[in-house]
Amino acid sequence: MSEQAAASELEYIATLGIIAMEGRGFEYPTDMVAASNGRLYVANRSRDFGERGVRVTVLDLDSEFYGTFGHFGSADGQLISPMCIAEDAHGRIYVSDDYTHRISAFTLDGDFALAWGTYGSAPGELNGPSGIAFDAAGRLYVADTHNHRIQKFGADGEFLLAFGGEGSGEGQLSLPWGVHIAPGGDVYVADWGNDRVQRFGADGAFIAAYGAPGREHGELLRPSGVAVDERGYMYVSDWGNERVQVLDAQGGFVQSLRGQAGLSKWAANFLEINREEGQARATADLDAAPGIADPRDPHAQSAHIEKLFWAPMSVKFDREGRVYVTEGNRHRIQVYRRASQAG
Amino acid sequence: MTTGNDYAKPDIDLMAHLFRRAAFGASRDELDACAQQGYEASVERLLNPPDTRWMGDFMVRRFDHEASGMINGPGSARNWLYRMVTSRAPLQEKMTLFWHGIFATGVPKVINGRVLSEQIDMFRRYGMGRFDRLLLALARDPAMIVWLDNQDNHSHAINENWGRELLELFSMGVGNYTEQDIKECARAFTGWTIRNTEYMMVRSARDSDWPYGRIAYQFERRADDHDEGEKTFLGHTGNFDGEDIIDIICRQESTARFIARHMYHFFVADEPPVPSWPYTPPRDDAAIDALVAAYFDSGYDIGAMLRTLFHSDFFKAEDIRYEKVKSPAEFAVGILRMSGEFDVPRREMILRYRQIDWMGQALNNPPSVEGWHQGLEWLDTGTLMERINFASEQLGDADKPGVRAMAASIAGAEGEDAPPETLVERCLDRMGALRVSDETRDALLTLARRDAADAAECATQMMRLTAASREFQRV
Repeated sequence: MSEQAAASELEYIATLGIIAMEGRGFEYPTDMVAASNGRLYVANRSRDFGERGVRVTVLDLDSEFYGTFGHFGSADGQLISPMCIAEDAHGRIYVSDDYTHRISAFTLDGDFALAWGTYGSAPGELNGPSGIAFDAAGRLYVADTHNHRIQKFGADGEFLLAFGGEGSGEGQLSLPWGVHIAPGGDVYVADWGNDRVQRFGADGAFIAAYGAPGREHGELLRPSGVAVDERGYMYVSDWGNERVQVLDAQGGFVQSLRGQAGLSKWAANFLEINREEGQARATADLDAAPGIADPRDPHAQSAHIEKLFWAPMSVKFDREGRVYVTEGNRHRIQVYRRASQAG
Repeated sequence: MTTGNDYAKPDIDLMAHLFRRAAFGASRDELDACAQQGYEASVERLLNPPDTRWMGDFMVRRFDHEASGMINGPGSARNWLYRMVTSRAPLQEKMTLFWHGIFATGVPKVINGRVLSEQIDMFRRYGMGRFDRLLLALARDPAMIVWLDNQDNHSHAINENWGRELLELFSMGVGNYTEQDIKECARAFTGWTIRNTEYMMVRSARDSDWPYGRIAYQFERRADDHDEGEKTFLGHTGNFDGEDIIDIICRQESTARFIARHMYHFFVADEPPVPSWPYTPPRDDAAIDALVAAYFDSGYDIGAMLRTLFHSDFFKAEDIRYEKVKSPAEFAVGILRMSGEFDVPRREMILRYRQIDWMGQALNNPPSVEGWHQGLEWLDTGTLMERINFASEQLGDADKPGVRAMAASIAGAEGEDAPPETLVERCLDRMGALRVSDETRDALLTLARRDAADAAECATQMMRLTAASREFQRV
């Protein structure tokens, strides 16, 4: 392995979160963003797309809790099915909602700022928006999921560009999910239905595709998100394989991780207070699953072994380059650092 | 009931009957295609589906997150509903309903939706194969273990719950074994438990999904908690383990008769509730005998029993058609397959699950270990209203792709100006080659004569009315 590849390998740091229908905690978190104020904003979809769990939870890397906003509803400042989350250069938090087909923006304090988006398939209209990301010029790229395209908007929602279209050829997309703008400005898309990551120029021109369908190293199965570092290394939430993969700038395999969550501060606090449960847990072996029906199925494995990634929804960097993996079905975030950051 | 649709040739009629009973209904196009292949080939395709595609786990898991993580029962039920609504292997799904009704396991005690879903997967895997393998998988199924307390069945202190229900409700039926057999059976299953029992039971008792959601249970056989002593069960003596007990059970004629009667009840005609079986003879002894023979001749093969059943005269008989009331799940799934509402997973599946519950059948939450009482008990004024409202809402919504296509097909080409009689014929045809009474036909004709000027609107109104008919409520 090259020195550069070795430096890109991920090392586990911490786990954040606990399941909670309201307040401090997450419920089916779908994405997070490490904002300019040092806080983490986590979008939660809730268990039955219901009234209690939907919210954005605000915390920091030390598990300090700062409150929630963006609760259930269809009025301004409310969300029904939040999916992905991003921050613009002016400190506004944007959230996509794949039920209302809207993009809503909030201040860092959680006050409603603006919302836009209408259902449809014409240019500028949306059908189930998911991944969102800002480029350096403040333009927002949106994965317009069910229209199988990426659309580019001004921060207030004016339509600028659409590219993609349904298909499996170069530049075509199938139910795209996560979107990431690389340091150089290229647009990386988790092309979910095509089991690959695609890279486009800012003008929507196809540049490259990475990955092929499968479970082997370097292969992808329904990827949900991608983050790209300054050297072009890709950190992919390989959702269908319940893992995170590190790929080099050409898509070559570097590392595969299945997850190694430990107890978050909130989880440890819960088990300390609920002693009966904490004591019973201490005697349990939660790291093996010898009796499951299909041990080759990573989704089944993850249902039985708690520390493993289960539904890794996105991979995001913070400003120090740490890597955050949001796990929908485990209601938590696993935090990693790159080997180059060690020490 | 009188009949009289000109198109209703006997082979289409029989095919429609087969697909109402062995599937969730079929469109006229599907029935025509099957009729072309013949009845026998159609039965084989149902038993051995060449194409088992459905919407797919990936789609469901991406867009309906609780149907992936399955904290609660409804998440599991929604995953199952998506499968029933979109599966190209409908008999396989019908059999999951069949076994769920017999091996009824519910969320109030199991708590964990994922564990319930894994039981339904197990029915899918074993439900049309050998009964002994299914019963062994059931004995090892974590949902069933917790449902019937086998984690509390210890070598030094037996818990008879699983042993009793295995014999009474899952295989032989009351009157075919003794109380001592139950005890010996329970002894053989001591130590058959779930991994990390203590922690999982503490979580279950507290309905805890902390800190990171549910952890699915795993089967574990604890040798140190298994009674290694000699047991005498149904006249056989030995150091039996659970596998031996299941082997002995599956050799019994009473087991074959019990499963045969359930199968007759589900696919042919209503039998009384299970508790009265010891005192009430089957409606058709010869039919049960035929199914019992298929059971033994095939080495306990459920698929072979089904093949015998679908080819039998008692199944094909005219006088059983439209006599069984659809269960709420059958009813709703059939309509959702028609309406095409779920071409992709949608938030609305939450409400559909609840509507099926309001009709009287909360999947993954049966009323007791006995399952649901079927037949006319599905219907009362409240549940009938729910059924009619459900159908009316689905089939009256021309934005749904299936409804739009059916309405266009009934209305015919623009400017065709089809007479009311033709509109009615087409409606009954598209709704699954239905044969209806004169009363139902007259009601549809009255509607068609009134609204024929707007054929597309007339078509959706006729579909709604047809769904409320006696015939459509039944299979």
